[in-house]
Amino acid sequence: MTKTYHPLVKRLLDGELSLSDLPLELRGEGAEALRLLGAVDRAPVALSAQFEARVMAEVRRRAGSPMRRFWRGLVEPRDIELRLRLRPGIVWGAALAAAAALALLLTRPSQAPDGARPVRLAARDSVYVRFVLYAPTARRVAVAGTFNQWDQNASPLARVGGGGVWAITLALPQGHHQYAFVVDGGQWVPDPAAPGVDDGFGRRNSMVAVTARGARIL
Amino acid sequence: MGQREQATDGEVVRAVLAGDVEQYAVLVHRYRDRYARFAARMLGSLDAAEDAVQDAFVRAFDQLAQCREPAKFAGWLFLILRNRCFAEQRRRTREGRGLEATDEAIAGPDRPDGNVEQIEQAHALERALVDLTPEQREVFVLKHVEGLAYDEISGMTGATVASLKMRMHRAYDRLRELLKEHT
Amino acid sequence: MRRVAVTLTLTAVAALRLAAQAPDVATRLAGRVPPEVASAVAGIAASAADRGLPVEPLVQKAIEGGAKGKPADRVIAAVRALSDQLAAAADALRSGGGRADADVVEGGAYALGAGLGVKQVQQLARASHAPYDAALTLRVAATLAALGVPPKTTVDLVEGVISAGRPPSELLDLPGEVQAGVARGATPTQAAQGLGHAAAHAPPGGPGGAVPPGQQKPPNPHKP
Repeated sequence: MTKTYHPLVKRLLDGELSLSDLPLELRGEGAEALRLLGAVDRAPVALSAQFEARVMAEVRRRAGSPMRRFWRGLVEPRDIELRLRLRPGIVWGAALAAAAALALLLTRPSQAPDGARPVRLAARDSVYVRFVLYAPTARRVAVAGTFNQWDQNASPLARVGGGGVWAITLALPQGHHQYAFVVDGGQWVPDPAAPGVDDGFGRRNSMVAVTARGARIL
Repeated sequence: MGQREQATDGEVVRAVLAGDVEQYAVLVHRYRDRYARFAARMLGSLDAAEDAVQDAFVRAFDQLAQCREPAKFAGWLFLILRNRCFAEQRRRTREGRGLEATDEAIAGPDRPDGNVEQIEQAHALERALVDLTPEQREVFVLKHVEGLAYDEISGMTGATVASLKMRMHRAYDRLRELLKEHT
Repeated sequence: MRRVAVTLTLTAVAALRLAAQAPDVATRLAGRVPPEVASAVAGIAASAADRGLPVEPLVQKAIEGGAKGKPADRVIAAVRALSDQLAAAADALRSGGGRADADVVEGGAYALGAGLGVKQVQQLARASHAPYDAALTLRVAATLAALGVPPKTTVDLVEGVISAGRPPSELLDLPGEVQAGVARGATPTQAAQGLGHAAAHAPPGGPGGAVPPGQQKPPNPHKP
């Protein structure tokens, strides 16, 4: 069993001490240790000439379609049947800077036509959920939550019609997801129509429960 | 190319996020080799290193919106690469394959002065590095190959200086043991 | 000297173990939170995992704090608080004889956070035999409590729906229906009690019989 290096020799190797700082009886061990370290090859390593081309090819493929970011591995939405389910008692509020109301639309994707990619049946795995926000004075609206790593750049809503309504449809896996709307990049707005949960930072998040039969805000 | 190359990391990241995907090539070009040596030492082969660095750049692109400080792209890329290297090592351990130090890959180009004994010692040390734990190998490579100080390594990896020194000192002993067998 | 050696060894073991687990948490948090938050959260997550608690909610909470621009100390405090809530829920569920799956523990944490007591959490978990899902039951109960329905009334309402054999999806409708009742002028208690009564006496096909305006039957995906 090889003896371990003396702690002072280790500090020598760390660069905290020089050889002359060591007591005489340790200098032999110190010199041996330095020789070991001296064998380290610090020559730079060069990657292949095609490296950059390969990276950029993959980057371009991923950047190609904005839809790819939403629908990774999922079917492109086709012939979506929309079903409007208004929460009873929603108040469509006046023109405030923040949101006034939310409606949740349930959708069920149909089978893709022949020749398309294999369908992962959304009824088992994911459900299309449409988020709608009435925010007439907003310039930008996004939805951020546990389904997109709270990234307000991942799921921007688009204006619908001209009446101050913003919307987006996302495929969400079954389970429970917390979320909030982000208005103009800085204002985090939970669904005012549901109590949601305490976010631990003094505000509230909304929660949507996604089951095989559809989704509800809790 | 000249004008673009002078843009700061922050500027390039913001341009890419604004939709100019081609600008990402500036960052790839700028940092392609910076961490290649680290990846090669961590994974024991140039092929594995190239895969890991490529994967890290692609993941960094995917998550670019989450790079909280665009000016610190390099450090952020390093963390992605580092975790990729750890994941690769764990995968190989699970599959029962250790790292293989292949002589042609990691020892770097032969020195022009051609000191055979030095080259053999370098190879021996590279093979011994492969036998360290991933954490020990990482701190050794960052300090003694990349030349970073403990507090820089601490800042990059999130480990405390004390725990880094602990790992390093164990690495020293282990290397001594492995290389004594060799001589 | 020996004590120092033991302490160092324990620190080394803990550090190595954190390093082994930390890359998973660290990967998720890299670039999303400052390094000191990432390491603190990795530590909290490692000890939560040791106690059999779900780690995912902790990682999500840290990511959320980072996305919302919260200061490092607040993010760490929120993650720690959540870890404590998960632990309390897991204890409640296990001591009630139930399973403490990640989803159920999370639901239990919400329920405790919304003001339900340990006994009520245990009751709801026990009542949620198949096809009812305890995680869902607890979350619905948490929402009802957050709407102002008192804990006992909440439990009675949820248990009532379950024992009347209503479809599990009707549990999801309860918060909305309580809100509708409140909008019509009832107190949360009255609204909940009214629903409880309706559930016990409703014919199969839906509480109260009539389908509220705007609601239709779900489209049959197998229809051409």
